[in-house]
Amino acid sequence: MSRYVPPVQGKASQLFDVIVLVVMTLGALFVPLKMGLSGAAKTVAAPMENPTWEMLGQSPAQASAYEALGYTPESAHDLILARFDYSFTIGGLITMIVVILLYYVLMLKFSGTEYREVIAEKFDRR
Amino acid sequence: MQTWNYIEYIAWGLSALLGLYLVVDWLRTDTTYSEDVLTSSREGELEAITEEHKG
Amino acid sequence: MADFDITSDKMDGMGPHGTKVGLLRVLGPAHVWALGVGIVLVGEYMGWNFAVGKGGAYAALIACWFAGILYTCVAMIDSEVTSTVAAAGGQYTQAKHIVGPLMAFNVGLYLTFAYTMLEAANAITAGYLISVVATMTGYDGVLDQRPFIILAILFLAWLNYRGVLATLTFNLVITAIAFAAIIIIFLSTSGVLGNGIVHHAELMAGQAALPYGWIGVLAALHFGLWYYLGIEGTTQAAEEVRSPARALPFGTLAGIMTLLIAATLTWYTCTGVLPWEYLGDGVNGSVAPLFDTARLSGSEALIWLLGIGTLFATLASANGCINDASRAWFAMGRDKYLPGWFGAVHPKYRTPYRSIIFLVPMALIFALGAPLDQVITFSILSGLLEYTFMPLNIIMFRKKWPMGTIKRGYEHPFHPIPAIALLALCSVTFFAVFLGYGTQLVAMIGFYILVSLWFHFWRYRFVNRGAQFTMPWPKPEGY
Repeated sequence: MSRYVPPVQGKASQLFDVIVLVVMTLGALFVPLKMGLSGAAKTVAAPMENPTWEMLGQSPAQASAYEALGYTPESAHDLILARFDYSFTIGGLITMIVVILLYYVLMLKFSGTEYREVIAEKFDRR
Repeated sequence: MQTWNYIEYIAWGLSALLGLYLVVDWLRTDTTYSEDVLTSSREGELEAITEEHKG
Repeated sequence: MADFDITSDKMDGMGPHGTKVGLLRVLGPAHVWALGVGIVLVGEYMGWNFAVGKGGAYAALIACWFAGILYTCVAMIDSEVTSTVAAAGGQYTQAKHIVGPLMAFNVGLYLTFAYTMLEAANAITAGYLISVVATMTGYDGVLDQRPFIILAILFLAWLNYRGVLATLTFNLVITAIAFAAIIIIFLSTSGVLGNGIVHHAELMAGQAALPYGWIGVLAALHFGLWYYLGIEGTTQAAEEVRSPARALPFGTLAGIMTLLIAATLTWYTCTGVLPWEYLGDGVNGSVAPLFDTARLSGSEALIWLLGIGTLFATLASANGCINDASRAWFAMGRDKYLPGWFGAVHPKYRTPYRSIIFLVPMALIFALGAPLDQVITFSILSGLLEYTFMPLNIIMFRKKWPMGTIKRGYEHPFHPIPAIALLALCSVTFFAVFLGYGTQLVAMIGFYILVSLWFHFWRYRFVNRGAQFTMPWPKPEGY
C-alpha cells in the first residue's frame, strides 16, 4: 500500500481553519442563548400575599436558618416557592435519542474507515 | 472606602502586565528559534527514551 | 509480532524521530493527584448544590453516590488505558489508537471545551468571591468583577506558560489547603469537635424530603456529575510524569477516593445547616455553599478558612484546566488534527506555549460573556459525551489487544461490568440533562456533527496516516 503524503498547510489556510472552528464553537454556545431557548427557568406557580414562614411551609428550624441568613418571609418568598417544570413530550425525548444515536453512529462509521487506513499503512509497509 | 477602587486598578494593571509578558515572550521565542525546532516534538518519543535508560 | 524492540531507538515501533524540544518528565504521583483533585474539588465548593435545587437534599445525595459509581468506573477504565497509552492528550491519544481518527478529534474537542468552560466558571466564581470579600470589609459601592476574572485567568496562564513543575506544585499546595478546609468545617459543625450545628432531621422533613418525587432524583443526576467532573484529566499529564505506568493509576485512583470522601462530607455539612431551597439555588441563593455554611456557624475563623478554601479551590481548578486543555489542544496540533502551528513547545520552559496563549482569549470570552449555569452545562455536556466514549474505548481496547498481547501498567477488574455500568449511567444522565437543558443538548450535538463533517471531509487531509499511530503495539486483532 502506498504511503499517503499529506499536503503542507500554509499559514493563511491554518489561520482560516482556526477561525472556522472558533466561529462554530461560539455559535454552539451563543445561538441557543440569544434565541432564548436555553436553560430551565424556575417559576412560582401560586404567589402569596403577605407570606409568613408557616404559609411558606417552613418549620421553625428552617425559618430560623433563613433568618440567620438575613431573609424575611417576603424576601425568601420567590426563593422558596419557585419550582422547575419537569414535564416533557415523548416527541422531544425521541428527537434527543435519535440525534445522539445518529451522532455516534456517524462518528464511529467514519472513524472506522479512517482507522482501517491507518492500520493498513502502519503495519503493511514492510 | 477608596481602597477597593485602588485594588481594582491594581488588578487591571497586573492583568495588562502579565498579558504583555506572555505576548512579548511568545513573539521573542517565535523569532529566535526556527519553526522546525519549535514543532519538533513527537508523540511517544520521550517514552522511548525513558525505556532505553531502564533497559 | 516481534517486529519492534522497545529498547532500540531505531526499531522501537514509534513515530518518526527527531524531537529537539519536547515536554519535560518531571512530575510524580502527588502531582497527578493534585492535578486530578485540584480540578474537581471546586465542585464541592460551588455548583454541586444545583443538584439540591433539582430534586432536594436526598436526591443530591443519591446523585452524589450514583455519580461516584460512574466516576469510579471512569477512573478504573482510564487508569488501565492510560497506563498503556502514555502520551499528552490523554483520552484523545487513546481514541486515536483504539477507535479511530474522527473519534479522536471529537474527544480532543470534548476535552478542550469541558476544561475551558470549567476554567471560565472558576474565574466567574473567583470574581464573585472577591466582591463578597469587598462587601464584608465595608466597601459600599458595586465592585467591578471583570479585572479580577481577567487577572485570575492571566495569572494562571502565566504560571502554566512558565513550566509544569511549578504549576502543579502550586496546585498541590492550594488543593491540600482546600481539602483540609472541608475536613475542618465537617469536624467543627457536625459535633465531632464541640457543639454541632447540623440538624438534618428538621431541615429535611415533610415536603423538603423529596420535593419533586423520584423524577427529581433523576434530574439531580445532571449536576451530580459536578462533584467529580474533571478527575479524568489526570491522563493529560502522561507525557510529563516520570513513571506513567505507576504514577497515573495511583494518582487517579487516590484522587477519586479523596473526592468520594470530600463530596459526602460536603453534602452532610451543607444540607444539615442550609434549607434546601436556598442551598439549591446557586444563582440567587447559595453561590458558595460551604462558605455560607461557615457564615452560619458564627465563627470568624471558619468564615475566613472557607473563604480562602473556596478561592483556592477555584484557582486550583482553573489552573489544572489550563494545563489539561492546552495539552489536549497541543496534542491535536502536533498530529495536524488542528493547524500544526499549535504543536510547538517552548524551548526554555518546555510547555505547549502557543496552545496556552490561544486558549486565554477563549476562556475570557466564555467567562465574561455567558451566565454561570450555561457555562457549567456546556462543560458537563462535553464531559458526558467523553464518558460515553470511554466504555466504547475500553471494550474495543480489550477486543483489539486482548490481555497478554501488550503490557498494561494497570488492569481493571470485572471487565466488562464497569464499562456497561458506565454506559447505563451515562444514558440516565443524558435523560437528566434533557429534562432541564434539552435544547442545549441538541444544539451541542448539532455542533459536534458539524465539526465532525468538517474534519472528515476537509481537515483530515493534512494528517499523516500510519505515522500518527505511535505506540509500539502489535497489529490489532481483526485488521
